[in-house]
Amino acid sequence: MKNDWLFPHRCRQIGWFVFIPSALLGLFTLHGNSLLKNLGFQPVTLGDFMGSFADEIAALGAILGLLFIAFAREKSEDEMIRQLRLESLQWSVYINYFLLALAIIFMYDDAFFTVMIYNMFTVLLVFIIRFRWSLKRVDHTEEVIA
Amino acid sequence: MKNRLKVARAEKDMSQAQLAEHIGVSRQTINSIETGRYIPSTVLALKLARTFGKPVEEFFSLEETD
Repeated sequence: MKNDWLFPHRCRQIGWFVFIPSALLGLFTLHGNSLLKNLGFQPVTLGDFMGSFADEIAALGAILGLLFIAFAREKSEDEMIRQLRLESLQWSVYINYFLLALAIIFMYDDAFFTVMIYNMFTVLLVFIIRFRWSLKRVDHTEEVIA
Repeated sequence: MKNRLKVARAEKDMSQAQLAEHIGVSRQTINSIETGRYIPSTVLALKLARTFGKPVEEFFSLEETD
């Protein structure tokens, strides 16, 4: 079989284990302290190391996790699944740039910068949602004749 | 493209899962081919035909719009 450039199936689970803590760390570094302040709590000061590298760790962890989730081989990866994968990727690129276009038109300064941070991950996130949904749809319309 | 895979499978008394396992694809793929949502590659069409020991035209045929 020719190389399909996919990760082994078990990488999907590893991907979730890496993505979730990284995303939480990323959300905290982006919004944590302003949220705490709004709620009337003291802001949290991260240590020297985390203060310097939390955003790098979060971003790299989120990218790695999402890549694993998105491109781990399905248990029975065949030509139809490959087609669904490709369609989902096309959809996610369209949606991603549509959202980016909206942000370019309607958002400025710091808000636009925040959108750009999220935009680093939306291609993969939308791809994962669309791909899982298309697999579910195929599953639900299944008809088995014994 | 029309196909009569479901009929051929029923004649052979095979389940979707059995056929899928025999030719090395997922059961969902067989289902999608039968319902016309997925057009198989030439290789897969030939494998299906070989399973039933008949030429590929017995299972797949073009429609007016193709």
